[in-house]
Parts: sequence; structure tokens; C-alpha cells
Amino acid sequence: MEFEIPSELRYAESHEWADDRSETVRVGISDFAQDELGDIVFVDLPSEGEGVGEGEEFGVLESIKAVSDIYTPVAGTIVATNEDVIDNPELVNEDPYGSGWLVEVEPEGELDHLLDASEYQEMI
Amino acid sequence: MSHHTQLSRATRTTGESTGSPFAPHSEADVETMLQAIDAESVEELFDIPSSVRFDGEFGIDAASEQEVVRQVAEVLGRNDSATEFLGRGRYDHYVPSLVDHLADRSEFLTSYTQYQPEITQGFLQALFEYQSLLVELTGLEVANCSMYDAATALGEVATLSQRVRSVTGDRVLVPDVLRDERRAVLENYVSGASLAVEEYPTTDGVVEPDALEDVLDGDVALVYVENPTTTGLIQEHLEEIGEHLAEADAMFCLGSDPVALSLLRTPASIGADAVIGDASVLGLGTAYGTSLGLFACKEEYLRQVPGRLVGASQDESGHRAYTLTLQTREQHIRRERATSNICTNQAWVALRTAIHAAVLGPDGLVDLAKNCHRLPEALARELDEIEGIAAPVRDGYHFREFRASVEPDVADLVSELYAEGFAVHATDADTIQICVTDANENQAEELVAAIEEVVA
Amino acid sequence: MQRHEQAVWDETGSEGYEPLLSEKDRTTVDVDYEELPDDLTRETLELPALSEPEIARHYTRLSQMNYGIDSGPYPLGSCTMKYNPKFTEDVAARTEAAVHPDRPEESVQGTLQLYHELQESLGRIGGMDAVTLQPPAGAAGEFTGILVAKAYHERNGEGERRSEVIVPSSAHGTNFASAAMAGYDVVELPGDDDGRIDLEALRSAVGEETAALMLTNPNTLGLFERDIEEIATVVHDAGGLLYYDGANLNALLGRARPGDMGFDIMHYNVHKTFATPHGGGGPGAGPIGVTEELRPFLPSPQVEARDGRYELVEPEHSIGKVHGAMGNWLVLIKTHAYIRRLGDSGLRDTSAKAVLNANYLASQIDLEIPFGPFHHEFVASAGERDAADFAKRMLDYGVHPPTTKWPEIVSEALMTEPTEAESKTTLDQLAGAFNAVASEDEETVAAAPEKTSARYIDQTSAARNPHLSWHALSDDA
Repeated sequence: MEFEIPSELRYAESHEWADDRSETVRVGISDFAQDELGDIVFVDLPSEGEGVGEGEEFGVLESIKAVSDIYTPVAGTIVATNEDVIDNPELVNEDPYGSGWLVEVEPEGELDHLLDASEYQEMI
Repeated sequence: MSHHTQLSRATRTTGESTGSPFAPHSEADVETMLQAIDAESVEELFDIPSSVRFDGEFGIDAASEQEVVRQVAEVLGRNDSATEFLGRGRYDHYVPSLVDHLADRSEFLTSYTQYQPEITQGFLQALFEYQSLLVELTGLEVANCSMYDAATALGEVATLSQRVRSVTGDRVLVPDVLRDERRAVLENYVSGASLAVEEYPTTDGVVEPDALEDVLDGDVALVYVENPTTTGLIQEHLEEIGEHLAEADAMFCLGSDPVALSLLRTPASIGADAVIGDASVLGLGTAYGTSLGLFACKEEYLRQVPGRLVGASQDESGHRAYTLTLQTREQHIRRERATSNICTNQAWVALRTAIHAAVLGPDGLVDLAKNCHRLPEALARELDEIEGIAAPVRDGYHFREFRASVEPDVADLVSELYAEGFAVHATDADTIQICVTDANENQAEELVAAIEEVVA
Repeated sequence: MQRHEQAVWDETGSEGYEPLLSEKDRTTVDVDYEELPDDLTRETLELPALSEPEIARHYTRLSQMNYGIDSGPYPLGSCTMKYNPKFTEDVAARTEAAVHPDRPEESVQGTLQLYHELQESLGRIGGMDAVTLQPPAGAAGEFTGILVAKAYHERNGEGERRSEVIVPSSAHGTNFASAAMAGYDVVELPGDDDGRIDLEALRSAVGEETAALMLTNPNTLGLFERDIEEIATVVHDAGGLLYYDGANLNALLGRARPGDMGFDIMHYNVHKTFATPHGGGGPGAGPIGVTEELRPFLPSPQVEARDGRYELVEPEHSIGKVHGAMGNWLVLIKTHAYIRRLGDSGLRDTSAKAVLNANYLASQIDLEIPFGPFHHEFVASAGERDAADFAKRMLDYGVHPPTTKWPEIVSEALMTEPTEAESKTTLDQLAGAFNAVASEDEETVAAAPEKTSARYIDQTSAARNPHLSWHALSDDA
């Protein structure tokens, strides 16, 4: 099965993506990850203003038969959460890199430790 | 299934002591099966080291069905027959015959948890209707389809309060008259959760809003209030209590039961966040403590609810269908982070409760509950006429039971009544407690006569 | 192949389902009661008001839309769905059994005698010195057992230090949850390649933090942990206790006893091993047995026999209570009656036929079964098929499918436990259902089930938009 892996994004080994093309870093989960989880029925996200460390668990995605923690690819402060996915968790399945994004982080650290698209492709 | 095997099986006796009467194998079957798996004997299928094999006997003799039935009947016959006027959290009401006949249908009784919903729609719908009954009775949005009993439900609500409360705080407040058993179970349920159970004072078992307010602070996670109280009184000022608890940001859990809830203020209307209790007052009776834990709460706690939930959905043809839902809360998926360890619960008792409530209907439920108020008030008035008895101990509105002060020694009185064939509670050095419902009201006059005689 | 079609009740206008009671009638009653102040009573009560004949028909139809062990085989792995003898219901329904739990002990000597006899017989069956019948389910038994272990370590001054409970990754989810509820950190023990406990991994996992190891034997693959004595030594040498999850005890009845293997604590699932009905999810009962050393920590009260009388006794260092009364008494009576009916020979025959049935059924199925030798259950792989879809299609053949997708060590697992109560004929039918599904094309399997009261149910929308009462349904309508 072919998964979409946009080349402009960076990826964590735990299958989150990070988009650092603007001042804040937008975070979501990869196409591969949403497929593994199956139909997502519930999204739990942190409150805005919360600090998160790199690789720290910051939320939960639930499908019917599985629960998956999500980890921040970069340390910083949560500055925005996607309210749409809380009401419509299916967005994470339908558009994981677009309207299914999860949070925006004001970064304190670097993103250098993350994989690029080809490295991530290799990994999965 | 061919007729041949049916006949060959019919020739076997079922009371033999050489094997299980419930394993339907003929010797020829065993031979054929062993050949199919290339084994000489059943023994060789056991991959158990000889050092841990058991070659002894348990010393339990097999018996025919008739013998076992006779033995058990004989042993149970050693229980004294007494008319029970006992309550204090467990109550008998007449259970209509229809409940037994329907709940004992083996499609219900012998089914497993509904992990394959397409083939277990019937039980799922019955549990959905049970949940709906509790939603109507409590006014809260969510009810699960069962905890073991009121005590364990209280334990579960305590750990729930810790998970959902936004501020820290470890105090769980329970009334000083809470039954020891419930308190002891609660202590165990919170033992892994760094919560501390404390008593708050009541007056004759009744919560006074001001006295409760005095013990509240920001560290209170949960306050448990019973209505009716363990002492048989309808709790007043619940709205005020609810307001105090809301100000303190403490979770408010009300303890009650489906009969009381049919008549008394809805928990939602007085600000309760959760309701627990013994739901088997409908459907089962006291049954030496076999029970049904009622658990209902506000919708905002939905993701933190313990136990099973049935939801309505649709099947592929677009027809309404039911399924266990939100299972990611549960132990088989979330393991050590589950909301509870509960798996097997009291589903079949919930079915009984739902059927009993259906038989009564709304009018029947309200009438039964009104009777639960009238009967103890009337009996207390009669006892109060007897010299040496003052009943009830506290003025107020009673439900099913009341306490009476007695001049004679309580232990003597209770055992003398017992000798007359009546069981009542000895509550403390000066008081007894008497529970009267539709189940024993026909014996109430005899009880009065017996008390009169014993006191005289 | 067996023909089967489950009932569908489709009343005019209900579009393919038996209407809810509330759809048949909703009556609002004004709760007027002059004898109580208004602020103590509710205003209205809105519930169905139906006649007895209507209610009888409603629940009869619901029962026809439900599948029980009396309907057909129910080979759910680790669930031991065996025939439930009917006479045990009659015994439990006796009015003398239904006493109030606050009756004084001298007045319920019969009840206490049965209770005591069951404590004794379970002790002998498990090889344990003392038994409590109080835990109302298997998971409650686990919780109780772990609390006993905790109390024991605390008594030895090691309560703080021993903060971990080790659980094999293939264990039942309740093991993890019960240990966590008792306040323990759960350490997951990876399995060996051959599906058993990896002794080396165990050695490195145990230590002075270990409070207990929880183990099922035979394990969820049906395999006996051959190294059980060594496992016990490793755990005991580290000062930990060994806990036996009794879910799979049916395999060992009369042939091996947890107590003899070195287990310190065990629970019994009487609704599995001892044939009490599962009741669509309960009630069950989860008595626990312990060694002499742990007897003082058992829940209160224990029933003891003294001079021909039965007494309620609080153990010296009791953990307190885990149920508001004496446990699920009505279930315990049935357990007692079943054990008495079978006796030694019947119990021993039970494990023989249970293991024979699993081995025979496995031999008749055209699916890979990667681990053996198994006992009362086996785990087949649905191979390229999704095990959940495989199971749904089995429903169309009039049988209940196995437990699916677990344990995870077998891909697309079909965990199958036929129990002793199925005849060869039924096992052949069951095998026929497995093999028929295995040979069918993907489309047919994916379209299943077709013969059940409901077709494939949408679990996703049930979870995304929960409707948990008829109130929620009508609010949304």
C-alpha cells in the first residue's frame, strides 16, 4: 500500500509529522499512522498554553479497538489546537496532513533530530 | 445432527460416576477422535511435567442430580425460617413471576458478553433499555450496564472523581452512618489511588448542610450522600447540599435505588454528578447479598466511566442496531490505564431489573415507592403506642425503614423477637431498626404483637 | 452444513428492528404525593406503560435475537463457554437461599455450611490452603489477590519497596488493570519465541521491587508453562509471590493444581470452569485461594467450622472487604452443586474431554495453528484474512466464532476453546464452519453476516456519536 509522505514535512519515528515552514510548528500524524489506527473516533488534545517536552506524550487518539498516545516531535508551548478534529475525528483519517492537523507548537528546540520524507519512507 | 448419534447417546445413563455427565462423548467417539489426532490415549495430550502432576483425590463423591438437589435442600433447610424486617441498604420487594420466566430463557442466561453484537442484539437491547431506565430515574445522561454492587460502585465513583477533577485533592467524604461493608470496600478501591476516606458527621444519619459545609475545603474530591439514608430517612435540603459541593468543586455522588428514585427528587435536579446504589431492589431482592451496582453520571465524564456501555448504532442495511461501545476505556484494550478492571459484571441481574421495572410501569413504580413511605410511617406509629418503645427515633419522612428506641436491652429484645420468628436490626445500645415493604407488610401486625409481648 | 437464520422482528413502521419498549409506549406520570413536601419528590416519571402480555412478547423476541450456549457452540478462547446444567438454577432459586445478608450467623447455618463446603472443595481442587468466596468476578479475584500480596509485603516491611507486578504481554487485560488498581507499577514481560515465558527475561525482570508475577497456565495459547517450577523459584527467590489467573483451569482439573506448582495465590472463574451461566456478561464469581502463609490476609469474613457450627471470622490481618456482602452467593450455590454433581471422576473427565475436544477440533481445521502442544484451547491464524471478518462470516453458519485478534503473537488470531461439552458431531459442524469460511472468496466474507438479527454493525459511528439511552436517540431524531 502506498502512503502519502509530503516531502516538505519532517517525521518522528513515532509517526507524527511536523511542519516548520512558519513560525509555529504544526503537528499531526502521518498517513501511515492513521491507516494503522483505523477509523479514529476520539481525539484528546492538551490545552493551549501547556508546555511540552520533546518526545513527550501530549494527547490520545482512539479508534474502536486501539488507543494511541501522540508525542510532540519538538519541545515548546502549545499555542493552538485543532478544535475541528475534536468534533470530527474522521478528519485525521481523511486529511491527515491538512484539516486533520492536531496542534501548533511554539518551538523551543530544533527539529534536526526528525526524519525527512525519504528517511521516513524507508522506516515504514 | 444425525439421528444415529442421538440414539446411541440416549442409551447411556447420565448418573454414572465414571465421567462428566455433561461431556457428550460415547466411547466410540473418543476412539475416532483419538485416531484423528494420532494419539493412543487422552492422557498423552497433557504436556505437564510429572513433578507437578496431581495423582491424588479431592475426596468429592459424584452424585446424581436428584441427590445433589436433595442434599442442598437439606442443608439450606438448616437456615431458620424467620420473617425478615431487615433493610439497611438491601431490600426485598415482590418480584413478579414474569421476571423469572423471561430472564431464565436460556438465550439470555447462557450467553456471553456481547462481543459479537450481530448475534446478540436481544441482550444488547435489553441492556440499552436498562441504561435508559436509569437515565430517566436519575436525570443524568449516562448509566453503565452494571457494577457488582453498591459498595464497589462507590469505590469506582471515588476513583472516577480523582480522574475527572481538575484540581488536586485527596479527600473522599462519606457519612458517619455508612455501612461498615461499604466503607471497607471503598477503602480497598481507593488504596491504589492516593485518596483518603473520611467520615463527616450526620444527625441520626441525616446530613445537615451546615455541618457538611464545615468540613469542606479545596481538597475534597468526592462527597457521598445517601437518599434515603442508612437510617431510613428521606434526606432533606439536598439542593443546598448540592450548592455547597458545587462551590467547593467537589464531586457530588448520591446513593439511592430505582424504587426510591421513582418518587424522590431526581439527582440531576439537586446537582448530583453521579449516582450509585443497589439496583437489584428491583428484580432480585436481598439474595444473601447478590446484587447489582447502579452507576450513573453526567455526560462530561463519559470517557472516564468504568464498565460496559451499550450504544445504539446502525447495521449495514441501515437498521437500528446496538453494540458495546467506547470500549477503549476498558481493560481488554487499555490494560493498566483502563478506567476499571471490571470485565464480568452483573448483566443478567440488570436484565431482571429492567423487566421488573417494565412490569411495574411508571404508575406501578410510583405506587410502590409511595408505599415505601406509608408503611414504615404507619408501623412506627403503632409501635410508638407500646410502652417502652419510642418510634421513630427522629421525626422526618421515612422510606422503607425507621429506627425505634427501646427500653429493654436491645440484644435481648432482638434475640427474643428472633425466637418468635422475626428478624430486626440491632443498631446500637438503645435502638433497633425495622424495615417494612410490600414483601413483609402482611406480617407487620404479628411483629407488633410480638414486640408488645416481648417488651411486656 | 447446518442451516441457520436468527430471528428478525420487524414491526410495521420500525424498519427492521424490534422497537424499544419506549417506542411502544411512553407514559408520563405526574408524581403527586400529598404526604411528602413538593421539594422532596420528583415532578414526573416518563416510562413505558405496557401490559404483561406485551412485555412477555417483547423480551421473548429479544431472547430470540440472542445466541446462548444452548443455541449452539460458543468456542470463545479463554472464556470456557460450556453447558450450564439447569438443575443448578433450581437449587439457587430455593427460597431458603434468599436470606438477607444481615441475618445473624446462628440463623443461617445452612447457608454458611454450603459456603464452607465450597471454600473447602475449591481449596482441594486448586491445591490451596484457604479460599475466600467474596470476589464477585474473576477481575475482582485478581484485585483481591493482589491486595493480599500487598498486605503480605507490607506486613513484612517491604510494602514500599515492592512496587511492581510483572505481567506477561499475552496475559488477560484484567491482570494489568487489577494490578494498577491496587497501586502497582505494571512491568510487561515479553514472551518467548515458543509462546511461553522467557526465563531469561523473567530473571532480569524480577528483583527486590517485585511484588508478584501474574500467570495463566496453560497460557492463552493453550500451552502449559513447562518451566513452572523454575519460574516459581525465580519469583520466590526474589521475594515475590506467584499469582495464578484461573481463566484456563478447565484444562487441568484433577490433573495438576496451581498450589502444587508453586502458586501462592489463585483465582477461580466459576462461570468458566464450574459451568455457572455467564448471563450475558455476569454475574460470575471469582473466589481466590491462597497458601497457609497468606491466610491471615484474606478478606473478612471467612466461614469457619467449629464444633459442628459455622462461624463468621475476621482473619487476623484481613485486607477488609471487596464486596458489600458475601459475594455473588446465587452463583456460588450453583458452583457448589456442579462440583458435587461431578465429583472427582467428573472433574477429571472434564479436563480430559476439554483437551481431547480442542485437539480434535484443531485437527479438522484447515488453518495454521503455529503453537503447540496445546491443551483446552488453540490459536489458529486466519492467515491473509482479517480475523474479525472471518469471525463475522462464521456467524452465518449458526455457530459463535472464536475470540479474535488475540493473543497478538499469532497474526489474525482465532483463539478457540470448544470445552468438554461439545459432541464430536458438533465439533465436526464447527470445523465445517471454519473450513467453509476459509475457502470462501473475500467478497462473501466481507459481506457477512447475513443470517443474524442484525447485519454488520457500524461501531465507528456508535463511538463517534454515542447514543446511550432512548432519551439520546429521541433527542437526535
